[in-house]
This record gives sequence, C-alpha cells and structure tokens, in this order.
Amino acid sequence: MAPTAKSPQAPINVKLLLIGNSSVGKSSLLLRFSDEQWLPEDESSATIGVDFKVHKMDIKGKKVKLSIWDTAGQERFRTITSSYYRGAQGIILVYDVSSRESFDALPRWYSELETYVSDSVVKILVGNKVDKEFSRQVPTAEAEAFAERMSSLFIETSAKTSVNVKEAFQEVVERILDTPALWEGAPGAKTTRTDGGRGGVPGGMQVVGASEQHAEQGGGCNC
Amino acid sequence: MTTELPYAADAEVSLSYDELEVLRLQYERELAQAHVTVQTKFNYAWGLVKSPLKDHQVEGVRLLQDLYRSEPSRRRECLYYLALGHYKMGNFEEARKFNGLLLEKEPTNMQAKSLGQLIDKGVAREGYIGMALVGGVAAVGTIVLASLIRRAARK
Repeated sequence: MAPTAKSPQAPINVKLLLIGNSSVGKSSLLLRFSDEQWLPEDESSATIGVDFKVHKMDIKGKKVKLSIWDTAGQERFRTITSSYYRGAQGIILVYDVSSRESFDALPRWYSELETYVSDSVVKILVGNKVDKEFSRQVPTAEAEAFAERMSSLFIETSAKTSVNVKEAFQEVVERILDTPALWEGAPGAKTTRTDGGRGGVPGGMQVVGASEQHAEQGGGCNC
Repeated sequence: MTTELPYAADAEVSLSYDELEVLRLQYERELAQAHVTVQTKFNYAWGLVKSPLKDHQVEGVRLLQDLYRSEPSRRRECLYYLALGHYKMGNFEEARKFNGLLLEKEPTNMQAKSLGQLIDKGVAREGYIGMALVGGVAAVGTIVLASLIRRAARK
C-alpha cells in the first residue's frame, strides 16, 4: 500500500474537509464523530468561517491522524473558506435529506471542487438527517445515482441518532489509504503534511476571484 | 479514539502570502473606486487577523471594528474575529470582552467556548510569567536586603 509511514508508530496524516449548504449538519456530524455528542437545533449555531478538529483512529491496523476541517455553509463565507481546500485528500459533501434545496445546490459545490482539488481526491456524498424520514425530500436512489455520476462514495447518516456517522468517516479514510495517487510523487509529500494547514498543493489558487466567477457559471452546468 | 485539539483552529492557521495578497488587492481596488463592499472588507480583515504579523492583526482589528459599527448584520462574525485578533495580540482582556458578547448572544457556540478556553490559557500563562517575574524581583530584593543588613550589622 502506498502510504508507508517512516516508523510503525508514526501516524498517517489525513486532511478531510466538510462542505455543503448552511445547516445541513456538517458541524453536527463532526461533533457526533469526534465527541459522541449532539446539540439540539435551537442550541447549535452556524459555524463562523472555519473550524477544525484533530482525531486519531485505527484503520486496517494503521494509525491515522485525521484533521477534519469544518467550513461555514453560509454564502458570505464562500470566498474565504475556499482557501482551506489545499492539501485535502478527502471531501465530505453534506446535504440534508429533508431539504431539496440543499441537494439541488450540490452541483455548485462539485464545480467548486473542480476548481480547487485534484481529481484523485476522494469524495463522499452524505445525506444527513435520516432521522427526519417523515419529511424526506430526497429519495435515496436519486442521491445514490447522482453520487455515482460524480464518482463519489455515498452514505445516508443521522448525526442526531448516530446512524452511519462513524462509517461515513471510515469509508473516506479507507478509500484515501487505497488511493496511491494521493500519496505518490513530489507534491504527495506535501499533501500528507497537513498539520497546521501548511501542506499546500503547489500551483497557486485564487481565493476571491476564482470562486466568485465560478459561482456565476456554476449554477447552470451539471443540471 | 481521542480528540486532541479544541475548536478555534483559526487561532493557529494563517493564510499564505499570495492568498492574503488576493484579498488585499480586492480591497484596495474597491477602495480606489470609493466603494468597498462589506464582503471585501470583511474578507481582508479576516485574512489580516489570521496573519502572524502584529501589524496585520492591528489593521485587521481596526477594519473589523469599523464593520462592527456599520454592519449590525455582521456583528456575530465580527465579534468572533475581534476576539480572535485581540487574543493573538495578547490583549486578553479585550479578547474576553468580545468573546463574552458573542457568548451572551449564543451561549452554546462551540467556537466561542473553545476560544474562551484559549484565552483563559493565555491569561494563565501570562500570570505564571508575571508571578515568575515578581518572584524573581522578590528573590533579588531579599538577597540585596540581606546583604545590606549584614553589612550594617558588621559596622
């Protein structure tokens, strides 16, 4: 397997990014995954800018150190949160199964990904809030087909009831470990060094201009 | 499975030079046209606050204070980054004040809570250094005093 750590003890660093519309439950998924907690809707607050957590786990007998970046879904943070894509090996795209709007916004998120990350980056589409089955607006089959079209993994979760949350993170990380392109080559040496967000992918990026232009063009495509 | 770091990573990570340049150029272009949008100003202030350079942080906080006054709808974000900026500059009292205002509005805000922890740690660290200084001065003072007394006693 590609990611060979220098010593058996040294953990493999993996950077994940959570993206998706506002209030689909990105922070809640992270809180459930890392702290086994859940905040009721009226107590949780929209993420300001960006946040992150470091989480250690064992996968396939390997020690993995995950740094998970949680971005604000609000439109007004788009231009600043885009700078966090660099060095990410896995992207978790979240929508709310009880909100058609959050699902319909996905093509825009995917087009942003096209701008900022390489094709080999592992993507997983996560339909959150399956505890709200009674008000579901996005059928599982439809989302699954969409995920396949976007060459993404797919899973439905509930941060509230803890369903599939761990599995979602685990699947991405397993796939990342199995993707040699994310570890080989000169830039790969940098992508693994995600501590402190300094593991940038060379090639430069436009924080403001690019994403704004993209947002305008992005709406029409992929639909 | 363990979780190591608290939230509020924004306290630790800064932008690259190029990224901050993009934000700065956008701001200056709009400034030259005499119409700076709230978004541009906020983005630039955010980038400045995240910088490791004190001059940047000071300028960032100044811009955020402007925004705080002029844009009530952006107060929430401004409060957080004002607290962060002051925290990074070592102005723990101001940091706590702004963070406290945010917590007043959102008592369960996890980012504000963890920033609060960072501020407390900063204050404690400063306290130790202060105590060490006071302790050092006291120790030196005692030695000097003791030698003076000894000298006086000898006469």
